[in-house]
Amino acid sequence: MTEIKHGDIVLQARGITKRYPGLVANDHIDFEIRAGEIHAILGENGAGKTTLMSILFGLTRPDEGEIFVFGKKVNFRSPLDAIDLGIGMVHQTRKLISAHSVLENILLGHPRAGAILDLKKTAEEVKALCDVYGYKIDLNTKVWHLSEGEKQMVEILKALYRGAKILIMDEPTSALAPPETKKLLETIQLMTKNELAIVPFITHKLPIVLSVSQRVTVLRRGKIVARLNTADATEQSLAMEMVGREVIFNLERPDVKIGKPVLQVENVSAYDDKEYWATRNISFEVREGEIFGIAGVSGNGQQPLAEVLAGLRKASTGRVLFRGKDVTNLSSLERWKRGIGYIPSEQRAVGSIGEFSLVENLLMSYYYDDLFVKWGMIDAKKVRQLTQELIEEYGVATPSPDVKARNLSGGNLQKMILARVFSRKPRLIIANLPTQGLDVGAMEFVQNKLLEEKKAGAGILLISEDLDEVMALSDRIAPMYEGEFMDILPGGSAQRETVGALMAGHKEKAVGA
Amino acid sequence: MKLAGYTLKLEKKASFTGLEAIVISVVAILVALFLVGFIFLQAGVDPAKGYQAMFTYAFANPFGAPLTINRAVFILLSTFAFIVPIRAGLWNIGMSGQLYFGALTAFGVAYVFGARTSGANLSGAIVIPLMIVGGAIGGGLAGAIPGVLKGKFNTNEIVVTMMLNFIGYWVVAHMIKEGGPFMGSGGEGEGFKLPASIQAPIVSGVSVLTLVIALLLAVLLYVLFTRTRLGYQIRAFGLSPAAARYAGISPFQIALITFVIGGALAGLAGYHYFGTTPNLNQIPKNYGDFGDMAFYGIICGLISQGNPLAAIPLALLFGGLTSGGRYVQGKLHLSYGIDYALLGVLMITLVAFQFFFRYRVVFKKES
Ligand SMILES: Nc1ncnc2c1ncn2[C@@H]1O[C@H](COP(=O)(O)OP(=O)(O)O)[C@@H](O)[C@H]1O
Ligand SMILES: [Mg+2]
Repeated sequence: MTEIKHGDIVLQARGITKRYPGLVANDHIDFEIRAGEIHAILGENGAGKTTLMSILFGLTRPDEGEIFVFGKKVNFRSPLDAIDLGIGMVHQTRKLISAHSVLENILLGHPRAGAILDLKKTAEEVKALCDVYGYKIDLNTKVWHLSEGEKQMVEILKALYRGAKILIMDEPTSALAPPETKKLLETIQLMTKNELAIVPFITHKLPIVLSVSQRVTVLRRGKIVARLNTADATEQSLAMEMVGREVIFNLERPDVKIGKPVLQVENVSAYDDKEYWATRNISFEVREGEIFGIAGVSGNGQQPLAEVLAGLRKASTGRVLFRGKDVTNLSSLERWKRGIGYIPSEQRAVGSIGEFSLVENLLMSYYYDDLFVKWGMIDAKKVRQLTQELIEEYGVATPSPDVKARNLSGGNLQKMILARVFSRKPRLIIANLPTQGLDVGAMEFVQNKLLEEKKAGAGILLISEDLDEVMALSDRIAPMYEGEFMDILPGGSAQRETVGALMAGHKEKAVGA
Repeated sequence: MKLAGYTLKLEKKASFTGLEAIVISVVAILVALFLVGFIFLQAGVDPAKGYQAMFTYAFANPFGAPLTINRAVFILLSTFAFIVPIRAGLWNIGMSGQLYFGALTAFGVAYVFGARTSGANLSGAIVIPLMIVGGAIGGGLAGAIPGVLKGKFNTNEIVVTMMLNFIGYWVVAHMIKEGGPFMGSGGEGEGFKLPASIQAPIVSGVSVLTLVIALLLAVLLYVLFTRTRLGYQIRAFGLSPAAARYAGISPFQIALITFVIGGALAGLAGYHYFGTTPNLNQIPKNYGDFGDMAFYGIICGLISQGNPLAAIPLALLFGGLTSGGRYVQGKLHLSYGIDYALLGVLMITLVAFQFFFRYRVVFKKES
């Protein structure tokens, strides 16, 4: 291979097209990537980013189109071909073996691993790589001990050790705490100094795109709609290209009188499914008209806490009061009836039933209501009419209320779930990652709906990984780390850095900040 | 795969319609009949003649047709016993055990009225309905066992219902043989004879009362699944237990209710055969045979995709295959088990066609 210079084209795609039944996921995509450049591919959910990425990595075969790597036309039969040519990939979900050590994972699949294992030499080489990028990681730790950010680091190291010159990353920041994101961005920038080409595929977090990339390609519905130099782009202009319409970023926070407590949580602890302690001695309250935000990276006990409050998991200690009455041992059905509305983080697995029509999905919150079910018989007309009204009110894009829920896009499905829960007029709303995986347009909609409910006097418990969202919406913020609240801060005056550090578990740093 | 310049690909279909399902089932049945034709050929019988004899006997013969219908009712009720839990994602393969218990309780009712000792003038109008209800209760109680175990302790319902099949069989054997209370007063090792006065009405060899009950139940179950709260809860749980639980549906209640209903329906199947066919109840071995036939309910339930109305023609077909198959076997001197062979092949073609039904082969010219 000849020496690569800064700005050389290292990878070129021409006319890449991939069709799935009923849709074109990639429609004649042309673009090129240059050495030493960060080239962000931006697009809403379902725009076709992951599809494109897996084509470039040889995981998926395109129906049409050509790929050139270092000027040569290639025909990938499998990712191995792509890896051999110097393409590395960091997937959205980690692909490491958790019972193995960092070093073993890095070595796994390396051509040299087939021959004699020279662990010592490998360790030295990997250490040298770590030094270059300022990674501090013990190569002998088992992977399951690592945080999300560290695991990602291992995947990057693995790709680099395999000799990657082009590094493709799918949603690299989605599971990271703010300090880890910062670290990742620094590393990426260092890598480009060594003429590596970096291609992150990103759904939102527009500020990140703006802060690190040199060029941006925007995908919408499988087509490229914009190619820009980042210097010429703004957050607004990028959002507009992605969504195809204007998006307003400033949420208007309504002035709402904070009332009586609707939810009081006293010393609640719970186990997770593996019977480990998941939340420990959590106490807080949520008042009428208040948004109480829990900020944290997923897996720090938010889910079990939400489930305890929704009646889907037993509290091991403590008690829960709803509007002054003890509801600790009430069934989830009884809680729905009393006015607790839960928006689960898993839209498709929990919040909806894919094989059910939208009408039947709405019934999930109405089958117990005697106004809609008489003598055990469902008043289908009435439910259908309500569904239709809600579809209109919430602007759900669907040809009919009889469409199956699985055919809705993520954003539309979430709208339908909100419509179902909010139409019950809950006094307490538990919103677990309500904007996760949504595109900017849908995200804006969901956040505004939450604010509307706040205005209507509901108490809202907002659980989110997105620091910006928590900061923008919450009246009080509790950063959560390893099952505990690190603090409870007033929303208006809390510092972004403080909350970010606390949710990553850094108590000392937070004090100084 | 590439063939002479064409690429051949399997594409998964996004969805399919009820009409397609019917077409696929019919084609699968025709293909199965075609394949089994080779067995006829091998035995030196013209397949066309063989099938003609078989279907004529099953559907147009004064002895065969009632037998077909009675068996179809039995298979239909067994199918319902399978369908109700399967719509909640739970597998009831304990129809035979449940129908033994149903038959026993039905006979328990007759016994209480003194049917064993006096051939007396019992009032059919009172005892027959009570026997039917008794059969449903007995089956329902047998169904409650796996229901509670599943709901409370998440015990594997397949294992539990299987075990209960064996237990049921031995309880029956004990009750009607070896000095059990239902033993007939005369012969050794046989159950008591049901007096004619409390025999359910038979018209031209068909047990009409249970036939009507089965057809009514088909409609009722259809309404249950499409219109009612309970049906909605069952379907929601069957499609997504996590989402159902989230919506406040209790897994315990669903497991218990569906297994009790399923068991009760199997109990009715028990009453249908043992309470209406003269003398059938007396011989222990019959219970084993009809217990096995109840398993066609599983096949029927799976092919009809849990739709109780679609199960009706299927049950009729299966009933006809068992009665007609047995008949041609004797008449044309075929080797034993032609009916089983046909059912086996039918199952395989149905599964194979379901595959093509979900996938579509596309040829594309290389560009
Ligand atoms: N294997 C597949 N079969 C059918 N449709 C698919 C498949 N993979 C992706 N799609 C569809 O292609 C579109 C693009 O998906 P994807 O590339 O994952 O988008 P993104 O990564 O931008 O969110 C979506 O509508 C998705 O549903
Ligand atoms: Mg993606």
